Amino acid sequence: MNKKKFITPAIYALAVILLLLFPLTKVSPYIINIFIIAFINIIAAVSLRLIITSGQFPMAHASFMAVGAYMSAVVAIYSHWSPWLTIPLGGITAAIMGALIGLPFARLRALYYALASMFFGQAILQVILAANKWTNSYGGLNGIPRLLPTYSKIPYYYIILGVTVVCLIAMYRLEQSRIGINLKAIAQSHLVAASVGISEVKYRVLVLGVGCFFVGIAGAFLAHYTQTLDYTSFGLNKILLFWVYAWVGGIGNFAGPIVGASLLVIAPELMRWLQQYVPYVSAVILLLVVYIMPKGLAGIPEMIRNYYNDRIKRKKAVDVL
Amino acid sequence: MFFELKGLTKQFGGLLAVSNFDLYINQKEIVGLIGPNGSGKTTLFNTISGVYTPTKGKVTFDGKDVTGLKPHRIAELGIGRTFQLNPLFNDFTVLQNVTASFQIHPKSSLFDTYFNTPRYRHNEKYILEQSEEILRSVGLYHVKDTLAKNLPHGYQKMLGVARALATKPKLLMLDEPLGGMNPEEIDFTLKEIQKTRENGMTVLIVEHNMQVLSYCDRVYVINFGQKICEGLPKTVRDDPQVCLAYFGRENVA
Repeated sequence: MNKKKFITPAIYALAVILLLLFPLTKVSPYIINIFIIAFINIIAAVSLRLIITSGQFPMAHASFMAVGAYMSAVVAIYSHWSPWLTIPLGGITAAIMGALIGLPFARLRALYYALASMFFGQAILQVILAANKWTNSYGGLNGIPRLLPTYSKIPYYYIILGVTVVCLIAMYRLEQSRIGINLKAIAQSHLVAASVGISEVKYRVLVLGVGCFFVGIAGAFLAHYTQTLDYTSFGLNKILLFWVYAWVGGIGNFAGPIVGASLLVIAPELMRWLQQYVPYVSAVILLLVVYIMPKGLAGIPEMIRNYYNDRIKRKKAVDVL
Repeated sequence: MFFELKGLTKQFGGLLAVSNFDLYINQKEIVGLIGPNGSGKTTLFNTISGVYTPTKGKVTFDGKDVTGLKPHRIAELGIGRTFQLNPLFNDFTVLQNVTASFQIHPKSSLFDTYFNTPRYRHNEKYILEQSEEILRSVGLYHVKDTLAKNLPHGYQKMLGVARALATKPKLLMLDEPLGGMNPEEIDFTLKEIQKTRENGMTVLIVEHNMQVLSYCDRVYVINFGQKICEGLPKTVRDDPQVCLAYFGRENVA
């Protein structure tokens, strides 16, 4: 137990140090770009998993990313606010919307929740499409103010890396505290949870707000990084991709969505020749992972540990005989 | 009156599950609610604890009207309950089940919880000590690191009681504590119920096992959603109507 307490932070620290040193190796801006996109997807996938731990099935997550992105972009373009102010604004808008839909959805479960939130998510996209007073036709936006007055990608890399680390620490704290325990309790049995005084509505609304806040922040950074937005890139495809990131990495583990998102964003880019088959490859990877390793990629160390423990136990049993 | 039901009625569409039920419990009393399968015991129970809202009638507890409150509010006010089926957080260990049930006393604010303030850490330490004590008192301390779903059935039921005790209830409601238990487990549970009586706890027990009767101060008998008898365990046992409900025609025996 103590050993594990030490190893996990060490791995995270090592990963962050490697990522800090990475741009010094004179990699191409293309690779840097892939990493930035991966960071943004990591925030989205981890915040999705945070909501899933409470037993909800959010199928509107990419739409909340769009809310954060468009809110931040539109305010920055039309009110000439600094992106440093509009990005938190985007996150807060997404959080408020998330919490508001959390109230009527608090009674829905499983498939019904998934369906209702999916339609709500699509409705958000339709609103963005219809708001063509601000967005150009077909929900597009160009010329979003840049975060920094530079064309180099490396400062962006460091900023977004920093934001990702902060977001992940914030969400990790939430999960480790009693709030996270209550969320898991609600997911296991909402009746029992209510009988010991856990308010299901309160915690479900809270976690939706928090999850949507982080994904909204991620979307806003994406907007000011790419400087163009296209509402189709936040469609159902994207939501399913977030789910795939979380599932492939492993829902049961905080590191799961991080591993899943990094692998599934970076790997396809390194295999350009497969580019048009990426959805199919992702699907095959998902099926294989679900079939072979139900705990996801992040569950591999646990699988190995269990295997060795079992072997030791079996050996002991044989010795006793 | 410590706890009182007045004309409680619960209707599911055309089905009258509980009709016009009156019941009262004094402080430090153990009251039994018995009846055959499908007589409305559990519905009554769920209506009291807020899972269902009553169609008609009034529930007062500790001087407050608690009719139609949400389950977590009722738990906060001091009514703890156990469940008949699936009574646990299955993927938590036994100890986690109990610590997770300490939500009300002490209660940490969201701010304290998130930022891990000294107050929160102090509360958590207290909760851990209390949880271990509760587990010792119900005889589950030796399995505290087992996953709840891997426990034998009797232990799971006991854990349900431990979880209800963690809410520090003023009124403890047990939903079929003997359901599905073997004779040894039944003996153990009955001893536990005796212990709660000695501790001066107010208890409402729902059962269809008649063995519970001898541990109760007063007993209500429900059949087809209606009260058919109430009184001391002895008088209830000899009541012809109760015999009819349980064994069929009275002259058969």
